[in-house]
Formats: sequence, C-alpha cells, structure tokens
Amino acid sequence: MMMTFVGIVLRLALWLLLAPLLPGIINKVKAWVAGRRGPPVLQLYYDLARLWKKGVVLSTLASPGFIAAPAVGWVAVVGAALLLPLGPAAAGVSFRGDVLLLIYLLALARFCTVWAALETGSAFEGMGSVREVSYAVLTEAAILAAVLSLCVHTGGLSLTTILAPSAGAGAALLAAGLFTVLLAENCRVPFDDPNTHLELTMIHEAMILDHSGPPLAAILHGASVKLLLFSVLLVQAVLPLGALPPLLATAALAGGVLATTVGVGLVESLLARFAFKQVPFLLTLAFVLCLFALLVAWKGGAA
Amino acid sequence: MIVPGLLSVAALGFLAGMVLGPRRPRLWLAATLVGSGALLAAALAVLLGEVPEWDWRGTFSLGGERPHLRLDALGAVFLALLAMVGGAGAAYSRNYWSDRDYPRSAGRGRFWWSVLVATMALVLVAANGLYFLFGWELFTVAAFFLILLESRGRNVRAAAWLYLAASHVGTLCLFAFFALLAERTGSWELGPQLRGVAGLAPLFWLALGGFGVKAGLFPLHVWLPSAHANAPSHVSAILSGVAIKLGVYGIVRFSGWLPLPAQAGWIVIGLGAVGALFGIAFAFAQNDLKRLLAYCSVENVGVILIGVGAAMLGESHGQAAWGRLALIGALLHVWNHGLFKALLFFGAGSVLHATGTRDISRLGGLWTRLPWTAGLFALGAMAVSGLPPLNGFVSEWLIYLGLFDAGIEHGPVAWAAMPVTIMLGMAGALALASFAKAGALVFCGAPRTKRVAHAHEAGPWMLGPMLVFGGACVAIGLAPAALWLLLSRAAAAWNPAWAVAAENAPSSLHSLGIAHAVLAFLALGAALLLWRRARENGLRRGLTWDCGYAKPAARMQYTGGSFAGVAAGWFFWLLRPERTVQRPHGLLPESARRIERVPETVLEKLIGPLAAGVLRMSTAVRRLQHGRLQYYILYLVAGLAALGLIVLWEGSL
Repeated sequence: MMMTFVGIVLRLALWLLLAPLLPGIINKVKAWVAGRRGPPVLQLYYDLARLWKKGVVLSTLASPGFIAAPAVGWVAVVGAALLLPLGPAAAGVSFRGDVLLLIYLLALARFCTVWAALETGSAFEGMGSVREVSYAVLTEAAILAAVLSLCVHTGGLSLTTILAPSAGAGAALLAAGLFTVLLAENCRVPFDDPNTHLELTMIHEAMILDHSGPPLAAILHGASVKLLLFSVLLVQAVLPLGALPPLLATAALAGGVLATTVGVGLVESLLARFAFKQVPFLLTLAFVLCLFALLVAWKGGAA
Repeated sequence: MIVPGLLSVAALGFLAGMVLGPRRPRLWLAATLVGSGALLAAALAVLLGEVPEWDWRGTFSLGGERPHLRLDALGAVFLALLAMVGGAGAAYSRNYWSDRDYPRSAGRGRFWWSVLVATMALVLVAANGLYFLFGWELFTVAAFFLILLESRGRNVRAAAWLYLAASHVGTLCLFAFFALLAERTGSWELGPQLRGVAGLAPLFWLALGGFGVKAGLFPLHVWLPSAHANAPSHVSAILSGVAIKLGVYGIVRFSGWLPLPAQAGWIVIGLGAVGALFGIAFAFAQNDLKRLLAYCSVENVGVILIGVGAAMLGESHGQAAWGRLALIGALLHVWNHGLFKALLFFGAGSVLHATGTRDISRLGGLWTRLPWTAGLFALGAMAVSGLPPLNGFVSEWLIYLGLFDAGIEHGPVAWAAMPVTIMLGMAGALALASFAKAGALVFCGAPRTKRVAHAHEAGPWMLGPMLVFGGACVAIGLAPAALWLLLSRAAAAWNPAWAVAAENAPSSLHSLGIAHAVLAFLALGAALLLWRRARENGLRRGLTWDCGYAKPAARMQYTGGSFAGVAAGWFFWLLRPERTVQRPHGLLPESARRIERVPETVLEKLIGPLAAGVLRMSTAVRRLQHGRLQYYILYLVAGLAALGLIVLWEGSL
C-alpha cells in the first residue's frame, strides 16, 4: 500500500516536472531550422513560475467556473497521465478498461476548456470552442480505432497490457495515425498555430485568450502534460518496450519521446497551417490509418 | 409478503392521488410521495434480494382473464426509476405548475400525473397480455393529456396529436403481437415459459416495432422531439426519463422471454448504433433547449440498445462474460439516463419558468440569476456527456467493455462490436459538443435578450428534486460497485443461465470507483487552491478582452446556430437544414438576413410522405361512403348477388 503510494507520487513528480520541457524542445528545433537562437529550452518553466505569482484579470461576465474549469481540466489531464505506463516502470494505477478512462479524462479536460472559454462571451473564444469540439469528433474515432487495434493485437484491455508488446505489423500505420492525432489534439501545426498573432486562425490559443495568472499557468502546464502523454502513448504503442531489458527500454522510451518532439518541431518548421476546411480531411486520414492498423491487427491475430 | 403490501400501499397512494389531485394539492403531493416511496421500496426489496421474485395470480376473473402480476429484478430496475422520477416530478410541479400560475390546468395535471405513474407501474408488473395492453394504452392516453395541459398553443396541440398518432401505430403492432402470442400459446399468460414454445421467434419483430416507437428508436422517433419539447417540463422529464424506457423495457423483457430470431442481436445493436450517432447529430443542430434534450434521449436510447443488442449477441453466441457486461451497462444506463435527463429537463424548466423562452440564442448569462440551476445543469451536462467521475461514464464504460471484449475475442460478433465502438465514441464526442453548447450558451456569457435580465431563481420545490438527482448522479459515479449486485440480479432475470450466486463486482469496477473518488476529491482541491491563489495574487474584474475591442456587445457572441456550424455541416446530408438568405445589396445596405432551421427531417422527408400516401389511399376508399341511399342499396344488392354466386358455385363443385 505504502509502496504503491510512493510509486504514484514519484511518477506524478516525473510527469509534472518533465512535461514543460517538451514545448521548449519544439521551440528550440524551430529556431534551429530557421537559423535563430530561440528562447531557452526551460522557457516554459520560467513562464509558469512568473504566471503563478501574477494577479488575475477576470471578465465581468465570468462565473467561479472560469477559475474552477482550468483546475479540473488540469487534474483530468494529470490523472490520465498517471494511467499511462512508463516503459518498464508500469503505470501508477492500472485496471481493465483504464484505457477508456484515459480517453474520457481527456474529454473531461476538453469540456472544461470549452466551458471556460464560453464563460467570457467572446466571439473569438466561441470560434475556438466550436473548432475544438467539432474536430474532437474525428480524433475520438481515430483514437478509438487505434486503441481497438492495440487491444485486438494483444488481447488485453488495460494500458499496461496493450502497450507492452509493440503494435506488430501495423506499427507504421499506427505511428502515422497517432502522430497526426497528437498534432491535432495538442493544437500544433498543421491543425493550429500556437504562435500566430491572429486569433481568428487559432483553436486552443483562441479559447484561453481571457485567462491570466495562476489559471493560465494551470492551462499551459496541463497542455504540456497532454503533449508528453500523447508522445509517451505513441512511442509505447509502436516500440516493443516490453521485450527489451529495463534500462534499454527506458532509454528507448526517452529517445522515442525526444524523437517525437523533434518531429513535431520539424513539422512545424516545414509545414504551414492548413486551411480549416482541410482539417477534417486530414483527421479522416488519421482515422483511416488507424482503421487499417486495426485491420492489420485483426488479420495478424487470425493467422 | 413485503412486496404485495408495498404495492398495495402504492396503489392506494395513487388512487388517493387521483381523487385528491384536482382540488387538494398538498394532500395529493403527500399521497403521490407515499405511493412513489412504496414503489421504490418494493423495487428495492426485489433488487436487494430480500424477495427473489413476486408472482401473484388472482382467483377471480376481470375482463375475461384472471389477473396475473409478477415483479422480478428486471421489472424492478424500471420500477425503481419510475418511482424516483414520479415522486420528484410531482414535487417539482408544486412550484412549476402551481394553481396560481395555471388555475385551469393544474388540477387536471395532478390527476393525470397519478394516472400516468400508476398505469406505468401496472405495465411493469403485468404478466398477462391483456393487462399489459390495458396498462399500456392507459399510460399512453395519460401522457397525451399531460402533454396537452397547456392546450392553447398550436404547437402543443400538434405535438400531442402526433404523439397520440405515433403511439397508436406502435400500439397496433403490440395488439398484433399479443394477439398472435395468445393465439400460438393458447393463453394470454406471459412469462419465461414462452421461451420454450417453438415458432414464436418471428413475433419479436412485431414487439421491436411496437416498443421501438415508444422507445424513440431511430427512425421511429418522429413524435418524440416535439412532444418532449412542448410538454410542461416535469412531464418532459417523466416522458424522457421513464416513458420511453418502458419501450426499452418491452424490448428487453420480450427478448428475454421469447425465443429470438437469429438476426435479432445484429439488428438491435445496429439500430442502437445508428440511433446514437444520428440522434446526437440532430441534437447538436437544435436551437431549442428542450428539443435538444429530446433528441439527446434518442441518442441515449441508442446507447442502451447497443448494450441490449450486444447482450443478445452474447447470448446467441454463448458468451456470457461480455454479454452480461453489456446488459448490466445498458440497465445502468437506463437508470443513469433517467436521472440526468430528468435533472436536465427540470433545469430547462427552471430556465423556461424564469425567462419564458427555450431558444438558446435568446438566453445567456443566466448563472448570475439562477446560480443553483446553472450549477446543477452543468453537472447534468457533464453526466450526459459521459464524463468521469459521474454516472454517465460508468454505464458507457461497462458497455464499451462488453464491446471491446467481443472485439478481442475475434469471433463473428467482432464485426459488429468494432464499428459500433467507434460510432459510440463519435456519439460521445458529439454529446460533449451538444452539452457544452446547451449549458454554456444558456448559462454563461452575456444575456442575449432583456428577458434574461429579469429572470429569477427557481423555488425550493423545483431545486429540491434537482439536488436529489444531481446527488444521485455523483453517488453512482463514485460508488458504482454498490449497484453491481442489484443489476446482476436483473441480468439473471433476463437470462437465468447468467445467474451467478453471491457474486462480487469485477475488481476493475471497484478500481474505477476509487479512481473516480480520488479524481473528484483532487479536482475539488485543485479548484479551491487555484481560487485561493488567484485571490491572494489579486483579482481584478475587467471587460472580456476580445482582442482589444472595447465595446463588446451581447449580440457579438456565438449563438446556438453558429456553434453547431462546423460539425452539423458534416451531417448536412442527414439534417437537410433549410436556409433563407437575403444578401446585403448596394453601398448602404438596409437589411440582410440569414435564417437557418433544421427541420424534423425524418418526419417531413420520410414519415410525412408515407403518411400522406396512406391518407390518400384512405381518402380514395372513403369515396365509397358518400351518403347516397341509392348507391348503398346497390352495394347491398351487389353484395347479396356475390354471396349467392359463391353459394351456387360452391354447390356446383
């Protein structure tokens, strides 16, 4: 009992402390490709510390839910992260069907963000919310297809059992599909541009325009945890970490997450944001990729 | 002896309610609450296993048949829900439909409420086809009069008429179903003994049609949106929360008692999946708050039928493990949907009571005026979207688990389970979108019209039932394992082969409950911490930033229509929205408008033409009847001549 508790706290610390590194790495990669020096890798840590000390400006229309929603959303994302195994160090909490809890915790986080955005009555934030909830319909389908393919392949139903072996023959398909989902869910180029100065063209950033101070810190930190979560999920779904010795598996996991992050940075440097009309097609493509991975897993299992 | 005693108390309570209802509101409420409490106690006695099953046959004959009542765990699941919503709705109506506000119809409403609850209970305990039909017809009619309480509106009358017509199409199927059943078995008796009778399997399709109309099974749901939207809100709550569940009860009950056709499971799970996805797509496109809730009921019935269909498939393929999971998930969803949908309809009723409008695009910013309603509606919205740690997630999780297990198993059922899983996921995401829209646009932001500014919080009798249901949603979410045993008894009543003695909930359900509790606790703690931190750092109020625009106006906010724009656009082939666009012309345009409306597509494009065809045929036949005596005499002569010819011809053979 004590050991599980200590284990959970250690994993929690790992998730919370490492997550803000990822956006820093992405920005460094982008700066490197563009030939700039770029902000320090630890920039997000500085930002979070600064925001935590700052005051809050609330919209006159906002209810207490405007501050509660980022808190609940943060807890949901961190809770989802704790369900995810970390290579040889299995998950803090694991039970049959926890993979569905993970998907729906992310949905809870989405609900909170959208609710808080609509509290302000701003048209920009309304716009961002619409895009968020609508595209989520397609990403949800893609994620479920990906999870189904892993379940069918391994015959398990908890994250620990489905992620330990690799995705098998469909790994490449699954990797492509999940990477696209990662970009969409974390509002990266080509779905969303976190750095543009035009709120009209944004999704996630448009929804959090009115947040400031500690609630904004919670949102930014939650977003970085979500990015790390999707990277860890992607790497474990594709690489057969369970078959490797523990040290090597840990190194592979870390290397894989780093590679994914650099990949996101490269995509962001080399690709422009798509027009919103094209986004559904790209998401459908991700869904179809995951669906094919499912078919491959089905065939592989039958043989 | 405990069950018949409690049921007699309930019957007396509702009879007293019918007598007292028109004149004595307080006594009526007391009688109805006593009756509902007794019903709930009877249902719980059966579910908790105090009494395994209650079966009673009268020694006398009534209407040509001896009464036969029976309450088993499956019926008790539905009876418990009926008791909760029946009692809570009665309390809610005390403020919502009071004698002061509605002197003409309040008394009538109370009378029909008692009739409705009593007859629905009769349906749930009837074990004789005649009594079942009797209760079914009475409850249909009682609901009709309840929808029609405020009969001055043309919409209300049209909705009630449509409801009555559609219900009777369903009842016609049921008449045929029970009559054929009686003809093939030789008696009107219902019960598990029917399972062994050969040749009954095709009758299941009649039952599916008849009960499907009542359940709001897509595309037979056409009566449901307008009836639920135009009825008084406490009536909408019981219609949506319980009445359509009786349709589900019929399907579950007779899929357990009849031998099933081989395709039954496939068809039911398919209809469920299609209903879930299409129902919620329609819900998302609605701008009328109550119509949105009504379409969402179509979705939830779909979700329940996915579970029921999976259970039928599990049974026919000999897979008890995941079949039970899906069935228990479906039965839990029956409860959950009843609870949160009643909560949401009560919330919508408070909004309607306070502002006089159901149009989402005319509301907004209500949380300052109705803080309790806003909080409870938000809770209900999260529950109906299937978000953890609330009850909606638990039942969907169980259904998902059943589907995943069916998929993993690699059998033929996987071909149904896998696509249905994905459709269920998409329906869940759309439900989230719909309820972010319904909740946030109504209660958050700036008031869009002046009416909202004078709104007032609901009275204590309205808030009380909402608090109870909100609390129930949280409680089921945090301690789902407590209900497992109760629901597994119901599953055993559905299929005796699935009975497991003294069984505990699966450990994963316990883990889920613990995870939910920890999450809820942490979320509460984090929210308080963040609030305190923000207060310490200094809280300032300012205009919504809006990218520097200094004069934001309420009309600049996103409306219901614009919110649904993107995703509803993907379903345009199904929704067929009607657009009226008047573009601005010239240098100084005087007017421009764009009106978008999502019609009752299935009704207007599919059922409407069909009904018109039937009507045309009937009109053509009616020409035979014109009131001219000469022709009638001609008919008689022709008829007699024909008879004579037949007799002659028969004789010559």
